[in-house]
Amino acid sequence: MGQEEKSEENPETEEIEPFPFIKGKNIDLCVRNSKLLKQYVRWKNHPRVRKYARNVVPRTLEDQKQRFESKVEEFKDHISLDIWHKKDKKAIGNLGLGHIDWINGWANAFLFIGEPEYWNKNIATEATELLIEYAFNELNLNKLQGGAAVENIGSWTVAEKMGFKLEGIRKHTMYIDGKYVDVKTHSLLKEDWLKRKNSM
Amino acid sequence: MEDKETKKVMPFIEGEIIDLGPINLEHVNLYTKWGNDPDVRRYARNTFPWNLEEVKKWFEQQKESGKRDVTFEIWHKKDKKPIGTAGFDSINWLDRNANIFTSIGEPEYWGQGIGPEAAKLLVDYGFEELNFHKIHACINAPNKRSLRTAEKVGLKFEATLKEQVYIEGEYVDEVKLAIFKKDWFNSQKNLRK
Repeated sequence: MGQEEKSEENPETEEIEPFPFIKGKNIDLCVRNSKLLKQYVRWKNHPRVRKYARNVVPRTLEDQKQRFESKVEEFKDHISLDIWHKKDKKAIGNLGLGHIDWINGWANAFLFIGEPEYWNKNIATEATELLIEYAFNELNLNKLQGGAAVENIGSWTVAEKMGFKLEGIRKHTMYIDGKYVDVKTHSLLKEDWLKRKNSM
Repeated sequence: MEDKETKKVMPFIEGEIIDLGPINLEHVNLYTKWGNDPDVRRYARNTFPWNLEEVKKWFEQQKESGKRDVTFEIWHKKDKKPIGTAGFDSINWLDRNANIFTSIGEPEYWGQGIGPEAAKLLVDYGFEELNFHKIHACINAPNKRSLRTAEKVGLKFEATLKEQVYIEGEYVDEVKLAIFKKDWFNSQKNLRK
């Protein structure tokens, strides 16, 4: 048994055993872990992370605990997974599908990286690809939709890189740092995704 | 008089002889009668008695269970009364399939084409509105009437589960039938020609 000291700087990242749900190259998508609640709350409150995630009210640990206990349903309309960095052995963000509309065959895709030192490392790209495959190949959905503030360049450039097409720009849909901001809506259809894969 | 009638009737899907509407707590006595009637329940697999309170509880659960099943009341247009229930259960939204069921609770309405009409309205609804890929049915082999109905509506034989159920003293086979959206769609196209 080696000497494993809990890191003093990150007391909340004790040795967590992640449960991968989808495996990737540099990251896995894992089920959420109640032991990481403090970290989740930190992301939600982090000024740089929350800016475009629109967390404008401070979140407490209690809030997060409540949200963690979702009802047990057979067909979820919201799926949330942690982005787990394999080499560094830690959760660095969260992604998933919201508002899953089974009959109409589409869902909203969301993603954020909660640790800014992992931004601009193509992690979002890899994570998005895994999410797309899951949505089309496993959940049998027809379309994914994503929205991002126009100035949130990091977000929608990943979407466009993965083949999402601009559906429209919704004017003044967010209020950020004192002004109204437009939101770009992108979407990806399963048939286009398949065409893209076949041509690559 | 007319107002009272039209208030009761809330068709969700309109047919010729019947409409399909939401289930109605006011008719819980009828649902209890049908559920227990020996002739009606024989092939419907109700082997236990259901009292009025239990049926009411089932009714309450319907509100929450909306995700796995959809139940309608069969309303007879001319005679202005509910005569049975029909719908989908075991809905799998990811696999996009569901089990179809129809049950005419008043035996005097059997043999008049109502079963096939209800089933056809449901099949159209399942493919056109609920976006199913496949609709299946599970019918006990001795239940010739229902097997004929399934055939009329376009369901095709898929498999037999041998001696799957115990009915009135013997083990009988269960017949699985199914219809696929593409086949239904093609038959619709042919109708329109």
